[in-house]
Amino acid sequence: MPARVAMPSRSRRVTLLAAFLTVAVSSLAFKIPFCQGLTGTRGPPPRASSLAREVGHYGRAHNGAHLSASQKAALEEIAEAIGTPGKGITATDEGPLTVGGRFEAVGVENTEENRRTYRQMLYTAKGANKYLSAAILDPETVFQKSDDGVPFPKVCSDLGIVPGVKPHLKIYSLPGTADGETVMQGLDSLAARCKEYREAGCRFAKWRSPLEVSEGEISRLCIEANMHDLARYALICQDEGLVPIVEPDISLKGDHDLETAVRVNVEVQSELYKAMIDHGVFMEGAVLKSNMVNPGKACKTAYTCEEIAQANVEVLQRCMPVSIRTANYLSGGQSLEDASARLNAINRHSGKKPWNLSFSWSAALQLPLLELCKGKGSLQLEEMEELYLKELAIASAAAKGEHSPAAGDGDHTPPP
Amino acid sequence: MSLAPVGLPSVLPADVLAELKETAKMLCAPGKGFLAADESAGPWLRAGHAEAAKIPDVIENRAAYRAMCFSTPGLSEHISGVILHWETLLQDDATGKPMVEIIKENGMIPGIKVDKGYNKKGMWGTPLGPLGHPEVATVGLDDLQQKCAQAYAKGARFAKWRNVLQLDPSKGMPTDLSIADTVHTLARYASICQSERLVPIVEPEIVPNGNHDINYCAEMTNKVLAAQFKALADHHIFLEGAVLKPNMVKNGLGGPKASAETIATLTCQTLLRTVPPSMPGIFFLSGETALNEDNEEEATINLSTMNRLFAGKLPWHLSFSYGKALQKTCIVTWLGKTENEAAAQKALKARANANSDAVFGKYTPGSCASVGTDGNVMQAAGPY
Repeated sequence: MPARVAMPSRSRRVTLLAAFLTVAVSSLAFKIPFCQGLTGTRGPPPRASSLAREVGHYGRAHNGAHLSASQKAALEEIAEAIGTPGKGITATDEGPLTVGGRFEAVGVENTEENRRTYRQMLYTAKGANKYLSAAILDPETVFQKSDDGVPFPKVCSDLGIVPGVKPHLKIYSLPGTADGETVMQGLDSLAARCKEYREAGCRFAKWRSPLEVSEGEISRLCIEANMHDLARYALICQDEGLVPIVEPDISLKGDHDLETAVRVNVEVQSELYKAMIDHGVFMEGAVLKSNMVNPGKACKTAYTCEEIAQANVEVLQRCMPVSIRTANYLSGGQSLEDASARLNAINRHSGKKPWNLSFSWSAALQLPLLELCKGKGSLQLEEMEELYLKELAIASAAAKGEHSPAAGDGDHTPPP
Repeated sequence: MSLAPVGLPSVLPADVLAELKETAKMLCAPGKGFLAADESAGPWLRAGHAEAAKIPDVIENRAAYRAMCFSTPGLSEHISGVILHWETLLQDDATGKPMVEIIKENGMIPGIKVDKGYNKKGMWGTPLGPLGHPEVATVGLDDLQQKCAQAYAKGARFAKWRNVLQLDPSKGMPTDLSIADTVHTLARYASICQSERLVPIVEPEIVPNGNHDINYCAEMTNKVLAAQFKALADHHIFLEGAVLKPNMVKNGLGGPKASAETIATLTCQTLLRTVPPSMPGIFFLSGETALNEDNEEEATINLSTMNRLFAGKLPWHLSFSYGKALQKTCIVTWLGKTENEAAAQKALKARANANSDAVFGKYTPGSCASVGTDGNVMQAAGPY
């Protein structure tokens, strides 16, 4: 077996090649007369936007009017599959370095092969597809294959698990703002990369905009910048045939109380939905993945699981469009016990909840699995698979309001 | 164990919020809607009927007509709230009985129109729209706090304020300026009302005048309502204690005519994208219709189609707040004559009943007697 050489990952190489070719071809078409003849027109073919100006509708809250009926139907079908009641999403989209961090913490070597076999287990665990509607893949994983040589997107879709991808890059700090106010990068080359991931079998994407509460606030600039980026990402995805999962992720970090959390969440989500509508996003073909509404980790007031559930239901009732049919909460540092108890309580809440409310979990599901590897020096795939199935059964029950959490699970206990 | 409504300014105490929520709940009673009786001049002038327009518009006639309507036996089976003009709030009937008492004794809740209309000179620099004037700004915020307190003392428990937006795709109407003004004004009004325990009806009306098609109306209604609810969130409005009074998504009066099914589908899809579930009810305005259309029947059929096609899918009460569309046949039956009162009341109850059926999605077109398009005349639109 040849030694693996360190070089840009295959996905990055393909992206660079595609970008180069796109630039090369389009500049040729502009400059060389005979190429214009080849396309039959002067310059590149008219884009949807110039047609739109004739029609006079686009650019105004048009809910995806530039998409054809079949494009919209396809997006809605994917969104509906993601939002299958009783099922949720396994989020396996950490980049190699982040996964590496998790591996190294339990003494497992961070190799491409380890990442491959680990993710393979997360998709193909026997019976997992009973509980999973979708899986979010890292670009590296999109181009990896199972032991049988089947690309992972196909492995997932063959199991009835819709495969998706995390196409964003890394955050950077917004200058002139408080610590922790950032914007996520990756819009510039997004369309080209979405095309590539779609061809590889992905049917949705996910974009995470992390936010932090600082002294009871997130600045207007930070909210607007991030939510508008999410809206533009959603618009681009849909144009490339991918359902956008929008992920405004307000961190647990801080000592703000539950009332503040509700206020801030309503502020952030209201901005997001208005931005999506104003950008012309096809709302029925989009999915929400937000944080659960929680007091800050260091908050000095105690809250019960039911109070937390009520806060969550209130936030959604106050601003979430019914047209977005499913919200799959992230775990964001909550243990599986807490996250499940809260999801369960949310689903049991008697208020109006005209959406599917479920999970899209990474840390909550995976950290306990990795714990099983501690002191063993390698991935304990069989044991991990067994525990993973138990966890998924809990998550699925919580998504239906049929879970029986232990007393105290989901409560917020002030730190000592 | 229930958390007090959170994220709201502490100036609204829990008992005020509770009262707003309770009033809104009663307004949104199953099958019920509003009688919009808040016309500034005699309602018969706006009925679009040549004979009715001849009735003198004097205070005695307005009192007689409204006392007749409000005392209609059994009206409260279909009407939860009656929106009044300020004149009527302070008015007695011919026997000296306060109008507000007639309404309350007949099982309905009095509401009050608190806006002061708009000047057709409009906002400088905005384009001329199909109504024949530029975009306009509704006024009345300055003394609204006192007016709301007075209205509450007089027995009103909800309020209404109408802003007007015009459509013209060739001129980019409604402009962002007019949308910003509309949603901000309505949010300020709503905030003041709630502080005085009045449930605000929020009415950003997009008028149907113009030659645009229904798709343009859908996009603009989408845009306006998204902006409206963002403004309500920014102004800390307690959605559980407020209701919406929007236009239906329809073609322009001079545009290609859309079917009831298309109107119903586009309207509900737009609402599902923009109206959060915590708002308890949506009460459509009836608005202008073309001269060859039966204003009453159209309004009832459209509402019924919506509730039928989207049964079980709508998280709010979807109902009516009709003026013209409830009163035309009643007015034409009354024609100012005391001997016609009983028949006129029957007509009003019948149309109210029809709209009640429409809330349940069960109205059969043509089953409610109507004068139809008989005598329709062109209406001058304006702040009514």
